[in-house]
Amino acid sequence: MRVRRFTAALAAIGLVGLVGCSSDAGDDAGTPDATVPVETDAEFDAGTTMADLAEAGTITVGTKFDQPGFGLISPQDVPEGFDVEIAKIIAGALGIAADDIEWIESVSANREPFLQNGEVDMVVATYTINDERKQIVDFAGPYYVAGQDIMVAAGNPLAVEGPESFADIRVCSVTGSTPAGYVQENFPDADLTLFAEYSLCAEALKNDQVDAVTTDNVILTSFVAQDPESFELIGAPFTEEPYGIGVPLGDDEFRSFINDVLEASFEDGSWAAAWDATAGAITDTPAPEPPSVDRY
Amino acid sequence: MSMDGPTDKAADSGQPLVSLDGVNKWFGDLHVLQDISLQIARGEVIVVIGPSGSGKSTLCRCINRLESVQEGEIRLDGVLLPEEGKALARLRSDVGMVFQSFNLFAHKTILQNVTLGPIKVRGKSKAEAEKRGRELLERVGISNQADKVPAQLSGGQQQRAAIARALAMDPKVMLFDEPTSALDPEMINEVLDVMVSLARDGMTMVVVTHEMGFARKAADRVVFMDHGKIVEEATPETFFTAPRSDRAKDFLSKILTH
Amino acid sequence: MQAVLDNFAALWSGFLTTLAMSVSAAVIATIVGTLLAAFRVSPIPPLRAFGALYVQLVRNTPLTAVFFLVIFGLPSVDLTFQSFFVAAVVALSVYTSAFVCEVVRSGVNSVSAGQAEAARAIGLTFGQSLREVVLPQAFRTVVPPLGNIWIALVKNTAIAGGGFAVADLAQLAPDLARDNPAQVLGIFAGIALAYMVITVPSGIAVGIIERRTAILR
Repeated sequence: MRVRRFTAALAAIGLVGLVGCSSDAGDDAGTPDATVPVETDAEFDAGTTMADLAEAGTITVGTKFDQPGFGLISPQDVPEGFDVEIAKIIAGALGIAADDIEWIESVSANREPFLQNGEVDMVVATYTINDERKQIVDFAGPYYVAGQDIMVAAGNPLAVEGPESFADIRVCSVTGSTPAGYVQENFPDADLTLFAEYSLCAEALKNDQVDAVTTDNVILTSFVAQDPESFELIGAPFTEEPYGIGVPLGDDEFRSFINDVLEASFEDGSWAAAWDATAGAITDTPAPEPPSVDRY
Repeated sequence: MSMDGPTDKAADSGQPLVSLDGVNKWFGDLHVLQDISLQIARGEVIVVIGPSGSGKSTLCRCINRLESVQEGEIRLDGVLLPEEGKALARLRSDVGMVFQSFNLFAHKTILQNVTLGPIKVRGKSKAEAEKRGRELLERVGISNQADKVPAQLSGGQQQRAAIARALAMDPKVMLFDEPTSALDPEMINEVLDVMVSLARDGMTMVVVTHEMGFARKAADRVVFMDHGKIVEEATPETFFTAPRSDRAKDFLSKILTH
Repeated sequence: MQAVLDNFAALWSGFLTTLAMSVSAAVIATIVGTLLAAFRVSPIPPLRAFGALYVQLVRNTPLTAVFFLVIFGLPSVDLTFQSFFVAAVVALSVYTSAFVCEVVRSGVNSVSAGQAEAARAIGLTFGQSLREVVLPQAFRTVVPPLGNIWIALVKNTAIAGGGFAVADLAQLAPDLARDNPAQVLGIFAGIALAYMVITVPSGIAVGIIERRTAILR
């Protein structure tokens, strides 16, 4: 166990390429039991994106391949996670089966170019909605609000409940990061340890050199996914990072359609089921209250 | 010198001060010392001569184990030379050595060169060591150089300082490894004079040299070496006037003709 | 430059941490490195082998990896430094001592063999001849390269702050840059200046030591 931990950590700082990172997340999260329903008699106005996609019977979706719980490529070469399930729900409403979705890996830096160049039809990839991005792409959703959260040792020995505990514990984050700034600004007396990377914080937490790691819950989720025996997520985000579905700028019909689908999924429980089968299973947290979509 | 302990008892019985018995040494394939046996009595002055490469310097360096030997026994005052370590260091302190290239400690003054051993090895006080050191520098004729560093002295002065450094340890025997070979001709005699006076005072000496004048004047015995072997041992008078071996005759003819 | 002035207290504290880390590691690395050099020239084969192995292992390992091993590797053998500052000093000392060892060893080799022979011939032990005769001369020749190592060490401390949880100058830089995005250049210039406050006088001091300890040969 020791050795594996060690190689994983080395990999995290880039010394070992391929060792130790194959994640257990796939096994834990699995694919949802309930297959997403596929609309069999979908009818759309001619000329809309929806009509084109429904007729083609396929959709190209950009998602992350390296974010456990949200979008992580499986050994079978298909991505798994909450973002992936959301994309399946939307595809289903277009009459496209999950097997007919074409997945394209999109990292943070190429999401906008993919949409602008038409290489993907939509992006579901832990994509935070903000005003700068709205200049070049449009967002449906949000379908999820991520936020700064806290990861502690499994069992939460110090009974950490939220940021108010920062005054009494050793908390770890990354130098120059927004989450670190949040702690510095709101809890100036906190015993804050700053590393270059979150993976180092996770190691320090494992070694009892710090008591907690704080950053976006999505990042923390991946650590819990990799080592659920060591880590536990508090699961109470205290900042807001709304995740939206990116569509090409100006395609208001498609955006509105996706918003309808999302709202329906909030209502009929498929959204919560998607959560429970993916990120929720990894972090052992119940589905949060669905956000309200922003039809700007 | 204290008069108890087995060492001194052995000396009393007339045992040689330095004894080499069946010594063999190789540098790789080169057999540099071949079956050397040699006894040196207390107070005796031995001059070792021979062509370069004959092993005479190596022989000299083996006596205080600056070189180790593969076979044979070397005893100093009856004691077998120990392996590298504290015991060997203690034994070396009783053997003075003068090198061809002086080897004065470059970062220390002449006086510090002479007092280092007495203070660090003999445990003498600084004042005591300095008093004795100045006496010795006086004796070798460089008392006015005491506070200079070696590089400020001439070669002859440096070598005399090196002799004083060795004497400061009150050695039982002094080894001289070609002490004048690195000197300009005009400085050779100042060093040889010091050595002659040491010999007169009864110091046991092993001198590797090409100075035949010194050998005639001061040696009790001349040892002639060639190709790692002792070829001939004789009094200087006999050796220089009637060498027995052809190799000694050949060697002498080469160095004495010009 | 306004951000630098506004955060002077934080910069001062980071500066002191960087200085403390540099000085502690320099002292330890110089002592340990010299000991290792003594190992490498000693007559005892296992010590020589240990010295050589240490240098080969440490000198060929990235400093970041040394930090990683000290902070996260040692706890797996139940050796945990609760203070990241101490861990950083250990990592920097471990790393720098390998370089000190090689510089001192080359210095030892620059002292003629005759010096050591003469020292042994008057009865000094191996340790005494190193201490009294060889190392003092070796150090004088290695002052300039040692100075380079010390200055490199000061800059290497930035790895501790930038990556490994020590609140020094380097750790401050990204935080200040985040809070003052318009003044990033000024902030980094200010931090660089603070490093120079340590390194430039060190270089001058090394020059003075070098002149004072020069020996005639």
